[in-house]
Amino acid sequence: MAYQRSSGRGGGDSRGKFRRFYHRRKVCKFCADSSLVIDYKDAKTLRHFTTERGKIIPNRISGNCAKHQRMLALAIKRARNVALLPFTTSIVR
Amino acid sequence: MRYYELMYLVHPNLSEEEYRDTLGKYHGLIEKNRGVVIKTDEWGKKSLAYTIKKSDRAYYVLLLYCGDPEVPSILQKEMRMDDKVLKFQTIKLNDDADPEALKAEMEEGKPEELSETTQEGEEENGIPEE
Repeated sequence: MAYQRSSGRGGGDSRGKFRRFYHRRKVCKFCADSSLVIDYKDAKTLRHFTTERGKIIPNRISGNCAKHQRMLALAIKRARNVALLPFTTSIVR
Repeated sequence: MRYYELMYLVHPNLSEEEYRDTLGKYHGLIEKNRGVVIKTDEWGKKSLAYTIKKSDRAYYVLLLYCGDPEVPSILQKEMRMDDKVLKFQTIKLNDDADPEALKAEMEEGKPEELSETTQEGEEENGIPEE
């Protein structure tokens, strides 16, 4: 709340340097849809939660809740272990 | 008995017969140690995300079994020595499981898996937000 007030004051400045950010509320995909199961064998789904480089996307960006993020991280690591997902993709073609 | 899930990768350059032999070997090894194989799922030859022991393809095999706690370590020991197995991973699914019940569940569960396409419309709405 305090943050909103200060950004409002920033908007009052003629400089307009502090632009207001509109955050769309992110919802955890797995909470919203209980039929989705986190499974390390399902590389296709897990790929949505990794970057192109193969890193795990943090929950502040993906919007996952902490519980599902933990499960997801474990699943991704397991998938990496059996070469379903890459650890990294540093090989330049 | 504990319920385990084992996934292992078999070398791609094996002949069909050798491949069957390796599967049978570990199948037999579980049963020799008073374990029960619930289900074997062969994914076939798949390309790997990274090279393992200089090969970039492998046969994926998923093995669900019940057994005593020492069974995974026996398998592990054997697989480490085996050149035909590139990689393996065991995951404990349940501490206390009844193999007969699981087997029955497997047979029942098969038709249900196909009916998981109900909430797709909602998902599509969620994607343009990003």
